[in-house]
Amino acid sequence: MHSGILYSTAQALREILMSFVGIPIIVDIIMTVICATILLLIMATSALVFTLGERKICAFIQVRIGPNRVGPGGLLQSVADMIKLMDKEDIVPRGIDKWLWVLSPILLLVPSALIYAFFPFDDGVILADVNVGLFLLIAITSQTILPFLMGGYASNSKYSLIGGMRTVAQMLGYEVPMVFALMGIVMLTGSLKMSAIVEAQSNVWFIVLQPLAFFIYIVTALVESNRPPFNLVEGESEIIAGPFTEYTGMRWALFFLAEFSNLMCIGILTTTLFLGGWHGPDFLPGFAWFWIKTFICVLFYQWVGWTFPRLRIDTMLSFGWKVLLPIALVNVLLTGVGIYIYNIM
Amino acid sequence: MAQTEKFVLNMGPQHPSTHGVLQVQVELDGENIVGAKPVMGYLHRGIEKLMESRTYAQCVPYTDRLDYVSAMNNNLGFCMAVEKLAAIEVPERAEYIRVICAELNRIASHHVFIGSLTNDLGSATGMIYAFRDREKILDLFNIICGARMTAHYIRIGGVAADAQEEFLRDTQAFVDYVPAMLDEYDRIFTGNEIFQARMKGTSIITKETALKYSMSGPNIRASGVDYDIRKIDKYGAYGKFDFNIPLGEQGDNWDRYIVRLKEIQESANIIQQALDNMPEGPVMAKVPKVLKPPKGDAYHRVENTRGELGFYIVSDGSTKPYRVHIRRPSFVNLQALDSMCQGMLLADAVTAFATIDPLMGEVDC
Amino acid sequence: MGTYFSKEKLDLLKAQFDTAEYDAEQAEPAIYIGKEQLLDLMKVLRETPTYAFDRMSCLTAVDYKEYYEMVYCLYSRRYDLWVTVKVKLDHDNPEVESMTQIWEGTNFEERETYDLMGIKFLNHPDLRRILLPDNYEAHPLQKDFVPLEPRVEGGVLTWHKPKNLS
Repeated sequence: MHSGILYSTAQALREILMSFVGIPIIVDIIMTVICATILLLIMATSALVFTLGERKICAFIQVRIGPNRVGPGGLLQSVADMIKLMDKEDIVPRGIDKWLWVLSPILLLVPSALIYAFFPFDDGVILADVNVGLFLLIAITSQTILPFLMGGYASNSKYSLIGGMRTVAQMLGYEVPMVFALMGIVMLTGSLKMSAIVEAQSNVWFIVLQPLAFFIYIVTALVESNRPPFNLVEGESEIIAGPFTEYTGMRWALFFLAEFSNLMCIGILTTTLFLGGWHGPDFLPGFAWFWIKTFICVLFYQWVGWTFPRLRIDTMLSFGWKVLLPIALVNVLLTGVGIYIYNIM
Repeated sequence: MAQTEKFVLNMGPQHPSTHGVLQVQVELDGENIVGAKPVMGYLHRGIEKLMESRTYAQCVPYTDRLDYVSAMNNNLGFCMAVEKLAAIEVPERAEYIRVICAELNRIASHHVFIGSLTNDLGSATGMIYAFRDREKILDLFNIICGARMTAHYIRIGGVAADAQEEFLRDTQAFVDYVPAMLDEYDRIFTGNEIFQARMKGTSIITKETALKYSMSGPNIRASGVDYDIRKIDKYGAYGKFDFNIPLGEQGDNWDRYIVRLKEIQESANIIQQALDNMPEGPVMAKVPKVLKPPKGDAYHRVENTRGELGFYIVSDGSTKPYRVHIRRPSFVNLQALDSMCQGMLLADAVTAFATIDPLMGEVDC
Repeated sequence: MGTYFSKEKLDLLKAQFDTAEYDAEQAEPAIYIGKEQLLDLMKVLRETPTYAFDRMSCLTAVDYKEYYEMVYCLYSRRYDLWVTVKVKLDHDNPEVESMTQIWEGTNFEERETYDLMGIKFLNHPDLRRILLPDNYEAHPLQKDFVPLEPRVEGGVLTWHKPKNLS
């Protein structure tokens, strides 16, 4: 039923395990653990790769060289950064709400790790192919508001508080157009299942059928993942670092990890929802196409981020509510009309 | 019933975008600014007092540390005030070299302005581009006097050493590069929609307000007041050059940015004219080794990058000044900060700090 | 620098204010005025249409040991005209009217003069120290200034007069 190297490897692994253990449910559990570990590893490595990649790309855009001292061509820079962050002093400010403050960076990592379960990396390679995949995915990503607000509130710092409030304002303003933009895809596919969405793009990618939704998604994705030019939550020139102002060392690194994980998530989601997922010409396996597209998307998001200045909160919110939302609604209407015409023809 | 409460946010003295150690007590109502009070003095070194115990020549390096991104203009102001007090005639070639250096430094200082402004608007890329070009000017200073920022090149009676061929050649190359540089800035940030949206119509200083607060420099010219000491006083060799004074219309952040951008081109024009008509001759007047200006006082002002920089020097006939007072433009300009920020958003406050362009070395003196 | 206030105009002012005087020997003489008449003189200089001194270019004070001297350098944009006004102040109790009533932009400069020279400005809207710490009890630009010694008392930085001067 499914083809592709990854799927057959997993099947072979399952056969071997089956011959050793024999009980299907235990084999399922073991397989899930293995897959989850691999996904967490991907997430952790992506943070390592992206810190270096981001700095190199940003340096390229800014006519600089970038990190070039640690290892050959600066390749080990992120390892050095990691070691540095680990032995930093863990400063706990006075007057904080201890529990919320400690929980905030940890909780932030949960949704960004969780959504990896819903990504179809290759034909049949998806950890949880649930019927309401896209819906769950949006539901989980919007949970990132909470840790930001918690961190902002618990830090007992005015900058953090302003950052926390900004998170809520911008998430509310941009979650709605995003959902409506993705509605067009759901209408075309007729399913919320992630694998079905990719399957529906085997001939034509949704970027062709849903250009408006693609545009809206790019903007809202940048907002959701706090990338510049929409990084008002951190906005370092105004509110220092927003909710993470008072965090140091590894706690701060967790925020950072979540940020890079989010960056990869939006890259993957763009690929999956609009660029045909793992579909591509046959000379490369599916997962290779998937990663190539993802990295191109991430590169694009970084390029945008390092070129534009930051927006102001009022322009940004009015853009979300007054421009993106109407466009998204029009898009839903147009898609409906299009499907109707297509059906009667 | 929900209750709202105003709160005070101390921006600075340690904050990524307050340009040195400026502290601003911003009173906020949500994200809206109710008032902004600048608090100064974190960089106060007592330069005026220190000068009282140094000889006139020893005072000159202190002026470098006032407005440390445009040191040449400060040197020029102090030296001209002393020359006025002691009635020293400066050779013509020295006047020309002084103008070249002062204008190069004006461009370098505007680079810092553009860089910090774009950085404060959240685009670190802009900062790197501006600082890359500033580096070229600092290299020129390195050639002519061996120092990059705190030059101490302009001395009482002239300049420290004659300008080398290499310096003149490289300066010419830089002047030729200026139009391409400005074009690149236009493409990177001036034309950017977000950049324009954040700058246009924010933090307006009207003509009346600007005059009321005795503002000077590009800040008052952005409000449409034609007030440039180079043109009014024609000090040094400035009377011999033909240049325009760029003026703004509204006095918003955008005008303050555009005025400075145009000033870069005007400064390049002045440098070009100075290079073309450079006279030969000595670069140092005959100044006594032990300078004892006659008893009396003198006030001299020059157009610093940030505005009207004045030196009031009292001499008691000895080798040391009895009293030096420095009228620092950014210090006076900061008075307008409160009215600039009122009714704006927190993000606009950062833009306002950047476009009023205070330099703490000069504010705190 | 533009033209200086001519001697005829100075004589005109002298006739108007009985405490006004100037040194006729000098090329660019400053007007000396009694501190009671300062505000009136400044108002005349600011508001007379033929003078129109709209900019207070420089405001400072000098400590001459026996007395303080306030120095005001005024500039008129309309006529490109200069004038220097000086006021002698009593060394024991230096007080003078604030110029913020006429030029609002002198606010910071007067605060600075108060901070560093210790001259009190009457009717100033916000006369606080501007550069030095609020609990610093000396004025550094005075000629008999002795630097205070910093000490931390109960977590607060305080300043004290040095005990033994050797």
